[in-house]
Amino acid sequence: MKVGLLSFAHTHALSYATLLRDMEGVELLTTDPDAPLHDAAPAWPRGQELARELKVDYADTYDEVFAWRPDAVIIASENSRHRGLTELAAQHGVDVLCEKPLATTVADAEAMIEACRRAGTRLAIAHPVRFSPAYAAARAAVRAGHLGKILSVRGANYGQLTDDARAWFADPVLAGGGALMDHTVHIADLLDDLLGNARATEVYAQSNTLLRPGSVTETAGLVTVAYDNDTHVTIDCSWSQPRHHPQWGDVELQIVGEKATVEFTAFAQSVSGYDERNRQATVHPWGTDLDERLLRAFLFGPGEDGIEVAVGEAGLRTLRIVMAGYASTCSGQPSTVA
Amino acid sequence: MLDLHVGLLGAGVMAQTHLEAWITLGARVSVYSADGRHTHLAAAHSAQGVEAAPSREHLLEHCTLIDICTPTRTHKELILAAVGAGRHVVCEKPLAMNPEDAQEATDAAARAGVHLFPAHVVRYFPEYEALHRAVASGAVGEPAILHFTRTTAYPDWSSWFQDPSQSGGILTDQMIHDFDYACSLVGEPVRVYAQVREHDGDPRIASGTAVLTHANGAISYFHGLWGQPGTTFRTTFRVAGSDGVLHHDSHRTTAFRVLAQHDADAGAPIPQTWLSENPYASELREFATTIATGRPSRVTARDGVTAVRVATAARESARTGRAIDLTAEEATR
Repeated sequence: MKVGLLSFAHTHALSYATLLRDMEGVELLTTDPDAPLHDAAPAWPRGQELARELKVDYADTYDEVFAWRPDAVIIASENSRHRGLTELAAQHGVDVLCEKPLATTVADAEAMIEACRRAGTRLAIAHPVRFSPAYAAARAAVRAGHLGKILSVRGANYGQLTDDARAWFADPVLAGGGALMDHTVHIADLLDDLLGNARATEVYAQSNTLLRPGSVTETAGLVTVAYDNDTHVTIDCSWSQPRHHPQWGDVELQIVGEKATVEFTAFAQSVSGYDERNRQATVHPWGTDLDERLLRAFLFGPGEDGIEVAVGEAGLRTLRIVMAGYASTCSGQPSTVA
Repeated sequence: MLDLHVGLLGAGVMAQTHLEAWITLGARVSVYSADGRHTHLAAAHSAQGVEAAPSREHLLEHCTLIDICTPTRTHKELILAAVGAGRHVVCEKPLAMNPEDAQEATDAAARAGVHLFPAHVVRYFPEYEALHRAVASGAVGEPAILHFTRTTAYPDWSSWFQDPSQSGGILTDQMIHDFDYACSLVGEPVRVYAQVREHDGDPRIASGTAVLTHANGAISYFHGLWGQPGTTFRTTFRVAGSDGVLHHDSHRTTAFRVLAQHDADAGAPIPQTWLSENPYASELREFATTIATGRPSRVTARDGVTAVRVATAARESARTGRAIDLTAEEATR
């Protein structure tokens, strides 16, 4: 199977490139033509230099990758460039796995879904936490009815702000927003899968920039979502993990049902410690590689737990929650999900 | 899928655990148990092609690998019979009741030119694999002092565990896991001191401690607990060295947790599943790979003998109140 990796803008591209390079039955061709020259600090190479470092094949343009006739492409560009690349893939009849969030506007997301629908190609979204065995255990408990009716869910996806490696994460145009845009969708996507046909109706959100005074976009946020089945959800979407913390962040969910309460922590599985020579805390993860399971599910179909990769429509629903969140931060009142 | 016909001996909890792992790996399994319970075990897994064998001899004749999951006291004779028939062997820990028997079984396997794998499964738990990798890469420098704790509910599924002459008590049956793992990290020990304290009226509640001094100078400490009713499984470790420290507590790394469940005892508790690859499957896959390719497995028969030797010396120490010199014991053998 031939897989193209379009852009190294998102830091997840490094993980995808390494995994696909080593995946049996996969040929990989990468490209990163939009890498900004001024962004290429020596510590964070882009383009051909990064491809060399990762030991993966590289093409100079998107067209070259499509001329190679890939079976699927993975889009890891800046958020606002997802639409253009998805439409390009649809023109070539190629399936897409797009980095999250699906797009920075509802209009872009709708256009992407429509382009893939017309082309008869798949539009999937990179939500790796769906593939956490701990999430699968929670999901199985919910589906088996062990929790009964779900009353509330407390979610958190806190992480580091990676604008040292990739400046665009703090660019309101390229990223479409700040922490609210970056992280809300991970939890919202789990709920989209977990709550079945329930739909978000109303969002209240508060945000600030205190973690990075002077930031153009918000660096911390708390989002409260009401669903039409009366489930109430809170999401901490902050870039609140200190930059030098040894772990990038985590994803946590507590699910309160009428009959049981369960919770999971997606990245709890590590040996931790302290490295005296370098005077820093260390973590040695031993859990499942979620990116690998995501890529396998996209390319080869779901694994034993039957969990499937998120599709375009789900990405549009989670984006609408984010948009309602931004509207709420402006009005100071709950905002209806469009 | 494994191209392997496994002959499973035993039908208890460990046999069931190994059977499920073999099924995951796609092996063909026939099972036999002297107490006749294997027919139930085979019937429960008949959809996966598991067969009940008519006799032990039938297993030895038809299977490539014999997997021994029987009470400890029977291990040596079964190993000797299996290697005598030219079969590779996986044997649940401890390899035998005493180091002499373990050595005899190991020598017999070597003479027969077959593999003998003691099933020290802790080596295959991903957190212990991560520690091993980190220590090997120099993450703590030279390991100096190591702690391992293991808290489990007493194995109440079979009565033989209650007889120390059959199970070896907590030092042999439970703490041997961590003895073996520590030796894999810092090498064989030269001295052991251990104590055991049992509940006065109920041997199912027991606490054991042991201190090993290793040939390279490292000291390792062990605390094993067969806890009171309701005890939940927990393991911890802490490895400190010249350049750093690494630690683990399974209570902190349990990625999926049930905080409360209404009527959980009414028959449908929320199932707890492996939240990473089943370590028994990892272990048995490695053994099968070694048989197929000759690539060394991380656990060898010699490790199994060492673990029994350490556990037996620990019991001797607990009995006599003296530290046991393992180098002298080796020299006199």
